[in-house]
Amino acid sequence: MFGIQPRDVSDDDFNPRRRRWSLWTTPPASMPTTSHTSTPRKGHANTYHMSVKFEDLCGFMVEGNVDDVNVLNEVRERIREQGRVWWALEASKGANWYLQPRISSNGGQGVISVTSLKLSVLTNTVTLRRLIRKGVPPALRPKVWLSVSGAAKKRSTVPETYYDELIRATEGKTTPATRQIDHDLPRTFPCHPWLNSEEGQASLRRVLVGYSFRDSEVGYCQGLNYVAALLLLVMKTEEDAFWMLAVLLENVLVSDCYTDTLSGCHVEQRVFKDLLAKKCPRIAAHLEAMGFDVSLVATEWFLCLFSKTLPSETTLRVWDVLFNEGAKVLFHVALAIFKMREDDLLRIQHIGDVIDVLQTTAHHLYEPDELLTFAFDKIGSMTTNTITKERKRHETVVMAELDQRTRRLGSLKMDA
Amino acid sequence: MAASAGSKIRNAKLVLLGDVGAGKSSLVLRFVKGQFVEFQESTIGAAFFSQTLAVNDETVKFEIWDTAGQERYHSLAPMYYRGAAAAIVVYDISNQASFTRAKKWVQELQAQGNQNTVVALAGNKADLLEAREVQIEEAKTYAQENGLFFMETSAKTATNVNDIFYEIAKRLLQGQAAQNPQAAGMVLSQRPNERVVSAASCCSS
Repeated sequence: MFGIQPRDVSDDDFNPRRRRWSLWTTPPASMPTTSHTSTPRKGHANTYHMSVKFEDLCGFMVEGNVDDVNVLNEVRERIREQGRVWWALEASKGANWYLQPRISSNGGQGVISVTSLKLSVLTNTVTLRRLIRKGVPPALRPKVWLSVSGAAKKRSTVPETYYDELIRATEGKTTPATRQIDHDLPRTFPCHPWLNSEEGQASLRRVLVGYSFRDSEVGYCQGLNYVAALLLLVMKTEEDAFWMLAVLLENVLVSDCYTDTLSGCHVEQRVFKDLLAKKCPRIAAHLEAMGFDVSLVATEWFLCLFSKTLPSETTLRVWDVLFNEGAKVLFHVALAIFKMREDDLLRIQHIGDVIDVLQTTAHHLYEPDELLTFAFDKIGSMTTNTITKERKRHETVVMAELDQRTRRLGSLKMDA
Repeated sequence: MAASAGSKIRNAKLVLLGDVGAGKSSLVLRFVKGQFVEFQESTIGAAFFSQTLAVNDETVKFEIWDTAGQERYHSLAPMYYRGAAAAIVVYDISNQASFTRAKKWVQELQAQGNQNTVVALAGNKADLLEAREVQIEEAKTYAQENGLFFMETSAKTATNVNDIFYEIAKRLLQGQAAQNPQAAGMVLSQRPNERVVSAASCCSS
C-alpha cells in the first residue's frame, strides 16, 4: 500500500542521482540506500501523509513527508544545473577562475587596492557573488569555501606543518576546554552515523581541541561543536575544517561571539532587533506587544550559524553566502525566517505559538532558494557600513551592562 | 480552594537552570515526551517546550525554557528567567561541583528574579546511587534554609519527574488562589509561607 510513492522516491529518484552526486560530495559516512518508514494515515494510501525517512547529502537521517522529498529533489536538480554552469565557466574563464583575487565583501580578506582594480576582477566578483547565491556545487564547496572565506590565505601565512604540530602539542593535555569538549562529543548530532563513530568523534575532538589551544580566549564554547561537525562533513580534510573554523571565528564573524560573556553575541542580537524593527516593523511591533523577545529563539541561530535549525543542505547554502559575503548574511537569513511567516505571526497571540511557527518553518526549509530569495530580495539590502555603525553603538552599552552584572554577581558570591 | 476558576488554562513560564550535564534537557524530555536518551544533544542558548498538566479541575500549560549549562552562557540567563513563574534548579547528585553551581543559581534567582517565582531544587541522576557525592540531607537542609522545595529525580528511570512538575503546578495554582481568589488571570505567583516542603511530603498527593 505504501510502496508506490516511496519506491518512486527512493529507488528511481534518489539512488541514480546519488551515484552521480557522489562525484560531488565527499561524505565521510557511506550513503546507504534510502529507507522509508511507517505510516500512511488511516485508510487510503494518501502518500502525502506518509512519513518518509531519507538520508540527506551530509548523511543526516531526515524525516519528512513526500512533499519535502519532492522539494528536495527539485532543489537537487537545480543544483545539478548550477553545476553545469560552473563547469561551463571553468571552460571559458579557465580552471579555478574563482580562486583569483577579487573584490572582497568580507572585510579584509583578499582585498585588492582600487588602483589595481581591473574590469575582469570586477566582473568575476559580480559573477561569483551571483553564482554563489544560487549555490556552490557540493564537489566544489571545499575549494570555493577555502578561497572566498580567506581560509586558504590564512593558512598560507603559517608553515605547512602548523596543524600537525598544533595537534601534537595538545596531546595528553587536559584543560577546562578539553573537558567540556569531551563531554560534548557524544552529544553533537548523535544521530549522525559518522559523528557517532569513534573515528568521527576523534576527528571532531582534534579540530575543537586544536582550536582551543590556538585561541585560548575562545577556548571552547558550546555551539562550536555543531559548527565544526558540519564543517568536517563538508570539507575534504580535517585540516581544512580547522582552517574554516579559524577564519570564521577570526575574520568572518564579529569578534567575541564565543568568548567569556558572549559579548559579541549580545551585540549581534541587539542589532538584529533593530533590523527587525526596520525591515519587518509590523512583526516587531506585534511581538513586542506580546512581550516576546526575539533573542529567545535567534540566539541559537546565530551561535550555531543555523546548523541546528535548518535542514543541513539549506544550512550549507546559507554558509556558501556567509563565507563569501560575511556575517551580515546571518541577519538576512534570520529576518527572512520571520518575514516568510509574517501573516501567521501577526495572527498569533501566544509566545509558545510564535516559537512553534518559527521552529517548524525553519526545520522544514528544504527549499533554500525560497529562503535566500526572501533573505536578499524581499528583505532588501543592508550595507556593511550601517551594520558596523549599529554594532559600535550597541557594543558600548552591552559591555557596560555585562560589566555591571558581573560585579553584582561577584558581590553576591562574596556575601555567601 | 484552587477550584474557583473552573477549567481555564493557566500559562506558566518555567525555566531550568543548572550546571552543564546536570540533566536539564533530559528532565524536560522525560516530562514532555516520556523519553530518555543517553546522549542528549547539548543545548545552545535555550530550547523551548510546552506541556500541559491537569491539577484537579484546572490546567497549567507550562512554557518551558531549557537553558544551556556552560558557564559563559550565564550572561544569557536573565532573558530566560525574567518573568518566570517557576524555576527548576538542577544539579547532578554524583557531582559536588554541580551542587555548588546550583546554589549560585538559587542566589541569583533570589537577588535578580521575581520574588514570587516558585523555585524547585532537583537533585538529578538519583539512579546513580553508587556515585553519589551530594548527600540528600545536605540538599534538603539547604532547600529548607532557602525556601525551595526539593526532590531527587532521575530522568533515566522517570523517578519524581512528573511529580516535580505536578508539585510546581499545584503551588502555582495555590499561590494564585491565595493572592486573588477570583482571579482567572495569567500572572501566577505563590504563597510565600508555603515554600518549605520536605522531599517526602512533596512526592505525595
